[in-house]
Amino acid sequence: MWQKSLNHQNLSEEEEQSALRKAPSLRFRFILTGFLVIGVIASLAINLIFDYSQKLADLSYDRLLRSALLQMDENVGLMRNEVSIDIPWSAFATLAQADEDRVFYKVESLEQGFITGYQDLNSEPPQPPVLDQMQFYNQEYSGEMVRFAWIQRHLTDPETAKTVRIVLGQTRLSREEMASSITQKAVEVVVFIALVAITLIIIGSHLVLRPLHRIERALEERAMGDLTPIEINTPKETHHLKVAINHFMARLQTNLEQLENYTADAAHQLRTPLASLKALAENARDITSADPHSTDLDSSERQYQALDNIVKQCDALSQTVTLLLNQAVVSHRLQTHRLEPIDLLPPITASCREQAVTALHKGVRLSFDCDLKETMILGDAFSIQQMMQNLIENAVRYSALDAQNDTEVIVQVSEFERFYRIKVIDYGDGIPDLEKERVFERFYRGRYDIAGSGVGLAMVKDIVDHHSARIEIVDTEPKGTTFQVDFAKFQYHEGVL
Amino acid sequence: MRQAFWGFMLIVSMFVGKAWATETVWFGNSAATRVLYINSALDLASFEPILHEFVAQYPYIKVAYHDVNTLDLYHLTIKEHKKPKASLVISSAMDLHLKLVNDGYAQSYQSSFTDRLPDSFKWRNQLFAFSLEPIVMLVNKNAFPGEMPEDRQSLLQTIRQNEKVMTKRIGTYDIRQSGVGYLLASQDARQADVTWGRLLEAFGSHDVQTYCCTHDIIDDVASGKLVLGYNLLGSYASQRAQDDDRLKMILPKDYTLMLMRAALIPKGAPNAEDAGLFLDFLLSDNSQKMMQNQGLLFPIWPDLNNQNDPFVVNAPGPTGVIELDQQLLVGRDYAKQKRFIRNWEMALEISDED
Repeated sequence: MWQKSLNHQNLSEEEEQSALRKAPSLRFRFILTGFLVIGVIASLAINLIFDYSQKLADLSYDRLLRSALLQMDENVGLMRNEVSIDIPWSAFATLAQADEDRVFYKVESLEQGFITGYQDLNSEPPQPPVLDQMQFYNQEYSGEMVRFAWIQRHLTDPETAKTVRIVLGQTRLSREEMASSITQKAVEVVVFIALVAITLIIIGSHLVLRPLHRIERALEERAMGDLTPIEINTPKETHHLKVAINHFMARLQTNLEQLENYTADAAHQLRTPLASLKALAENARDITSADPHSTDLDSSERQYQALDNIVKQCDALSQTVTLLLNQAVVSHRLQTHRLEPIDLLPPITASCREQAVTALHKGVRLSFDCDLKETMILGDAFSIQQMMQNLIENAVRYSALDAQNDTEVIVQVSEFERFYRIKVIDYGDGIPDLEKERVFERFYRGRYDIAGSGVGLAMVKDIVDHHSARIEIVDTEPKGTTFQVDFAKFQYHEGVL
Repeated sequence: MRQAFWGFMLIVSMFVGKAWATETVWFGNSAATRVLYINSALDLASFEPILHEFVAQYPYIKVAYHDVNTLDLYHLTIKEHKKPKASLVISSAMDLHLKLVNDGYAQSYQSSFTDRLPDSFKWRNQLFAFSLEPIVMLVNKNAFPGEMPEDRQSLLQTIRQNEKVMTKRIGTYDIRQSGVGYLLASQDARQADVTWGRLLEAFGSHDVQTYCCTHDIIDDVASGKLVLGYNLLGSYASQRAQDDDRLKMILPKDYTLMLMRAALIPKGAPNAEDAGLFLDFLLSDNSQKMMQNQGLLFPIWPDLNNQNDPFVVNAPGPTGVIELDQQLLVGRDYAKQKRFIRNWEMALEISDED
């Protein structure tokens, strides 16, 4: 009936512990993912900060450099047709704001050559020179990286025109210092935020997983056999888990109930035949002891009769047991096997073939009437065979009452637009309308004078329901009963999908 | 290459040659294993007690002291930059020293002593000031006509009113020969351009006498050959004025320039360790106190408890501290310097051939 673990062993404490250790941790994954994400974000941010702080420092200090260069530029003039410069003190006072940075400069004229400053300074800018357009660039000089501002312009007066070029550089100490102090502050903030975020994630993971622990505890603390739904309040996210567990428990309960029913069935089924078997056996015992005066022949004849009854009863009992077993198998298959596309005909013909001889012994002709080639449905062949077996057995049993007349049971399969209809037609006494609704009830037996378990049709009903098929009992003309079962056709495209 | 444009300075190279030949004075135990060579533009008279104290404190170090004129000191340091002989270079020409640092001839040094030095007294941890002194006028009381001048304006007035007495009897630095002389002149021009112009004109028209060194000026003022010495280093003037009644030191009231003496350790110095030790010693409370108490130099941290201490600056007017930063480079700009010296020569009506 159920799928069970093959070897259900109780794990020892140690094994349990090691299993727990080996098991992947949800919380660990959660935290790790958080760590990685925050780490990536933080490192990106730090990268950006590094870049940005450099730019910012250059921007601020380039202003100083620009201002100093402009002050120098303003003091360039022509004296007796010669370019001359009188560097203002204030220009270098501006530069002195970057207190530790060395200053290098060069003033030259394209016509006159070197005018003042550091003669070995390379005054070629990295970009093509454009008049009056200031350029900033880094270049190594005197063993240090130096930030240079560069400008070139024309000096004209009525007599002459000269081009003057000024390069003014400043080492990068203050810039680096500013950049690193910005970076340091920003990195501190980023690291702080990242730490806070990670802490929150760790706390959050604890909070998020707490409802799971609560459910776990609720389940652990349950009394044995308590299958009532869990009724603790859980957040939305674990609601489905709770519902799933509750569904699972409901199913378990159903299964247990079925098992109880089945046990009850079995007990019920076996009690009656056993009781009658006992009665028969007592009867046989009493034949000799009760009447010692009777003739041997007479008594042995009666004893034989009694024992024959016992044998018959044993047969019936064995049949019942088989039926119960079949029912168990069918019930198991219905629960565990998925329905698959099958041809409806083979199980029907198989069960007809199986029953034909038995039926004939009882004076019933069993005929199969079908001219369809292929009848594909979604179902379980074994269950359908069991169903047919029960229906045919039932039909034969009720037909055989009228054993004097030749009677027959017809099994018919016909096709409709959307379904196949199986008919099992008998010409017995028929079932009164009142009882038609009750025949599928478990242990309901229409007539106690006919041998039967009372479970066969209940099983048929189970199988039919499981296949989402439809069963109907109609009267046969002129008399008798027809069971008709409709199975939906298997749609190929459904199957493919 | 870089010093190529200083080529014109070779004109005065004859002095350079002479200066480099001066004797080296030794201090300390001759058996001491460690030798510290100091090139300095500081007169031994002001420095000797400090040097004695140093070798007394560090008996395993002997000091070789080489007195060099400020401008020569600059050229010497550049000349020796590949293999410096001196491990410590001390000068009052702040601008030249700063230029040496800017141009990469110095190495960094850091200690608890340099750390407590205010930022305005050091640059890049390569240049360290250890004294701060006023720039003064020194007057021969007996020879000076009329009232003592209290500022540059009254000096100008005295010159105009006593043309005869003053002619050829004012002494100041030859800015072509003296690094510190140039610095002071350029700072004068910067502080008060108009006054400086007038002063220069008056100096020119009264045949000002130019000197290479402070002591020569002071000697001549004391002897009465000069009536007044202009722009002298306060420490030397103060020292002499104390001992000599004829001399009076005047801190100009309009503004008093304040000059630092600074030291650097050349890159590749053979004994940078002991140079650092000496620097720390100069900056220590002990030697700072010594400078003041023994009347050697004006310390950075003067003990202000002593009233009327001649080695505590007591300027009657504003002080113009020559700042130890990149601005000093402007004064030493090649073009500016050339023009400044030419103007100076023109004003004083002297030419290179003199």
